Amino acid sequence: MTEAVLPQRIVTTPPPLAYRLYSVWYRHIRVYCKHLISNGFPPFVEPLFFLAGVGLGLGHYVGLIDGTPYLLFLASGMIAPSSMFTAAFECTFGTFIRLEFDKAYDGMVSASITVTDLFVGEMLFVGTKGFFFTLAVMSVFTVFGLVPSYFAILTPLVGFFAGMMFGALSLFVTSFVKTINHFNFFLTGCLTPMFFFSGIVFPITNLPEWIQWVSEVFPLTHSARLIRACCLRQFSSLLFFDILFMVAFTIVFGYLAVSRLEKRLIQ
Amino acid sequence: MMKMLTGRVRSDSDNGRIINVLGYDPAKNELEIRYLAGIVPQENNLDVELSVSQNLYIYSKFYGLPHNVASRRISELLEFMELTEKKEARIRELSGGMQRRLVIARALINSPHLLILDEPTTGLDPQVRQAIWDKMRMLKKTGVTIVLTTHYMDEAAQLCDDLIIMHKGEKILQGHPRALISKNLETYVLEILNTDVFSTIEAKGFRTEETAGRLMLYGDRLSSLETVTEPLNAGDFFLRPVNLEDLFLKVTGRNLHD
Repeated sequence: MTEAVLPQRIVTTPPPLAYRLYSVWYRHIRVYCKHLISNGFPPFVEPLFFLAGVGLGLGHYVGLIDGTPYLLFLASGMIAPSSMFTAAFECTFGTFIRLEFDKAYDGMVSASITVTDLFVGEMLFVGTKGFFFTLAVMSVFTVFGLVPSYFAILTPLVGFFAGMMFGALSLFVTSFVKTINHFNFFLTGCLTPMFFFSGIVFPITNLPEWIQWVSEVFPLTHSARLIRACCLRQFSSLLFFDILFMVAFTIVFGYLAVSRLEKRLIQ
Repeated sequence: MMKMLTGRVRSDSDNGRIINVLGYDPAKNELEIRYLAGIVPQENNLDVELSVSQNLYIYSKFYGLPHNVASRRISELLEFMELTEKKEARIRELSGGMQRRLVIARALINSPHLLILDEPTTGLDPQVRQAIWDKMRMLKKTGVTIVLTTHYMDEAAQLCDDLIIMHKGEKILQGHPRALISKNLETYVLEILNTDVFSTIEAKGFRTEETAGRLMLYGDRLSSLETVTEPLNAGDFFLRPVNLEDLFLKVTGRNLHD
């Protein structure tokens, strides 16, 4: 091409990164809040059922765990999975439907939004969901007198970062998935064992050593440990490793997920 | 090809050719291009989880439009695309033509310098097609540059000031539709539809083309083609000025290309 035919560049300023992320986040919040009652119902009710079933029934036979009554131990554990499940469902089924069936992302990236904005914004949205789900469960348990420490006020913050972490992992999984049924492998094969072997229902310290090592790789172990520490005011410097793990996990899987999904959206 | 303009598809080989859209390279400045250009993709990818006006409002957020500017722009565009009555409707309640109009309205939300449309009227009924063409003409008058792809030669003839005929990824012809026709084709064509009379036709002096069901005679003088039709019955032939479709078929061939 010769220079003469190149058009003059029109000077322009698309919205900055923070605003673009906000606009994607806003889209998801707007959609989510359309069905606020039906969407908001599970986090309040589900943990109560579990607590009533396992805590009251089984708790009668268990007694103290590490010096903590079983019902308190279980309640402080049961706060963590709420943000995991909400983020995982949103960024598997939700993302896949937007990606393949509704083609919502195709529409969004026709505006001045990049694929990175799209999925980082989505991670911020599931982080927000994690925040509110954690807050909901923590509040319900507080009402029932199961949260002894004021430090529990920090748990929604952990829930936010846990939401982003599981959002990143789930987006990474979604980037591989060709049909929606494949998610069963992830949900049953990963989330279910994580739920039982992350020290939520029982401590992992008495399990065989190799399971304990596997458990340390589970992201849920780390968010659950932080949340329990806040609820029971059992802080130790080892918790820094949990924070470090969550940050590193989110960045690594977030990066992998975004670059894989970018290949899927941009040929 | 349209997706390459906006950075949705990257060129797979570095063949030394530069794509330049409004002074920007799609591989590096996709954001700037998408900020300045409105895009109407082939598929109506509206946000089915939002209503008509919410679709436009969320889109205005992506461009960072302030709330009051966005509201004004949305009511203008709904009016322009004749969708005001449907502003609270869900996307799935809209007909194909309404969805298409909404996608065009969405592309116009940031008052683009350039409007890129990928087969804008494919699959739509004649009323909607005509309405969309009228809107395109109005936009052209306001100074918006419109780039569109189409398989419909009547659409290209109606809207284009500059037309490129492409075949197998290569440019074959470029120019104003009327100029291209007069330069490359005769003025009139006589299509003979009754296969039984083909052998009786005196086709000397005309350029002819034959397909399975038709014999076509091209000529510049109407009167001489009329002479050929004299012995034929009314339903056996069709005499008309040539059009862009004739040109397209002439330059790209009549074989089916998949």
